Formats: sequence, structure tokens, C-alpha cells
Amino acid sequence: MSWLRNPWLHRLLGLALGAVFLYAAHDKIVNPQALVTILWGYRLLPTGPINLVAIYMPWLELLVGLALLTGYKRRAAAIWACVLLATFITALLIDAIRGLNVACGCFSTSAQDVHNAWLLVLRDLPMLAAALVLTLAPRSGGK
Amino acid sequence: MLLFAAMKGGTLRDLLLFPAATLLLGTAANLIPGRHLPFWGQGQTPPAEGTDFSWLDVASAETMVTALPNVVILDSRGLDAFAQSHIAHARPLPLPELDRLLTPELETTLRQADAVILYGDADEADVEQLLAQALRLRGLAPPYILVGGYPAWEGAGLPVETGEP
Repeated sequence: MSWLRNPWLHRLLGLALGAVFLYAAHDKIVNPQALVTILWGYRLLPTGPINLVAIYMPWLELLVGLALLTGYKRRAAAIWACVLLATFITALLIDAIRGLNVACGCFSTSAQDVHNAWLLVLRDLPMLAAALVLTLAPRSGGK
Repeated sequence: MLLFAAMKGGTLRDLLLFPAATLLLGTAANLIPGRHLPFWGQGQTPPAEGTDFSWLDVASAETMVTALPNVVILDSRGLDAFAQSHIAHARPLPLPELDRLLTPELETTLRQADAVILYGDADEADVEQLLAQALRLRGLAPPYILVGGYPAWEGAGLPVETGEP
């Protein structure tokens, strides 16, 4: 599995994952109020912390995206990407099991952007795999 | 396992940089007027067309009711007004009674509906918009709001009925 440590693979995964995170963060940073509605739609969080998530999560996505894209603190960014993606997948899985198709808020804050939750889980899994490679298989010849 | 990987790589300090910077940026951005959210609670986002509801005129509503097999009509007026007269086959759902009247059975009905139409008793439809938003926040599809409410429907000579649901 030494190919998983290939620096070029890490650069490529960092670029791809970073671009996805930056794109995902954009609309949420612009429309935090709309993100509140999306988070409500998941019906997972109690009233209190919903705004905190809407205020801070997009910025974490932005920083993770920037770090992955530029390579600065890439490994730490990959770990946070794993945490974020695992959280998203868990939330989507719970809603999928409950039979709720949600407006995922993944790449837009439109509440009408409703998708099948199972498909959203499947969409997130390759990204989690990429983040895991960046985390658990440090590239050869560097951090 | 992730934490182990972080510590092994000596990236624990790097790891903490991200929440620190996130706290700083998120807090600063949230102080900007126009995009401020209360730090705790669900916030107060006004209902928005497209997000929480769509407008529907009487003619389109009649077409929808005729053409689609499973259209649910909700009356947001008070229960007394509903008992006096309401759109045929409507169900009462005043906003103050939402928690009591939105039973699991009604929620399932709304989820399975081809379309949900809300109506009130006036053009302003403020209450209907709030009700639509409340339904949206419960994970239901954004409903339609009847322009002109009950008077417009009745004025067009469309079917109404009286009595309890």
C-alpha cells in the first residue's frame, strides 16, 4: 500500500478535497440564517446549539478547505475533514434510517434542495475515504 | 484512532489551530450587521418565499385540487371560523394550535401529499407564512399559500362546507 503515501496522490487528494470544502463553505458563510433552517430540517439538534453550528461550522470548512488546497497543515486539516465528514455522514444516516429526505445543506443553503439521504451518504463516503488516506497514510518524504 | 494519528505525526498543535481560528473568524463574522445570529437558540429568520412557501392563486389552486389526487388543504384561521365555513375537505391548523393539532397522523398525511395548500382569512398571510415556516422547520415540504385566502376561494364560487373537521 505504499502508493497511498505517494506525494502526488496526496497533492491530488488535497486539491480535490480542498476545493470541495471551499465550495461547500461558500454558500453557508454567505447565508448563515438559511443554514439555520437547513440544520432544523435534520431534526437532530436541540434548539440551543443550532445557531452555534451555523455560525462556526462553515468557517471550519473554509479553513480545512484552504489548508488542504494549499498544503499548509494538510494533515491536521485532513483530520478535521474526517471529523466533519464523519459527522455529516452520521447525521445523514440517522435521517436516512428515519425515512427523512433532507435538504442537506452540503453545497447550498437552499431548503428546497432536497435529496434522498441514502444517496447523500454514498456521495460523502469517497470524500471520507480521501480524507482518511491523507490522515492515516502520511506521504513519503514529508509530514 | 484519528487522535492517535495526530499525536504520532506531531500535529496536535496544528489540530488545535483550526478550532481557534474558526472561533475567531466565526465570532468576528457574526458581529457584522445584517448577518448576525444569536449565539444560542434557533434565531429568527423571517419566512421566505421559495424557501418556506410558494404563492398560489385561486385558479391554480382549483386546478391543482382537480388534477392531483392527494392535495391537502390546511385552514390556518381560528377553530370557530373553521366551524362556520371552510374550503371543502380542508383541515384546521391554526398556528397557536400547531403542536396539538399536528398529530403524527396529520404529519404523515402531509408528507404523503402531492401538494399542501395553506389558507387564511386575509391577503397579508403573515400567519400563513409563519405556519408554513413552522411546517418547513419540522422537515415537511414547503407548502403553497393561497393568495387572498378563504375570501378569494369563496368569492370565486368554489366549494366550501361548514362544521367541525
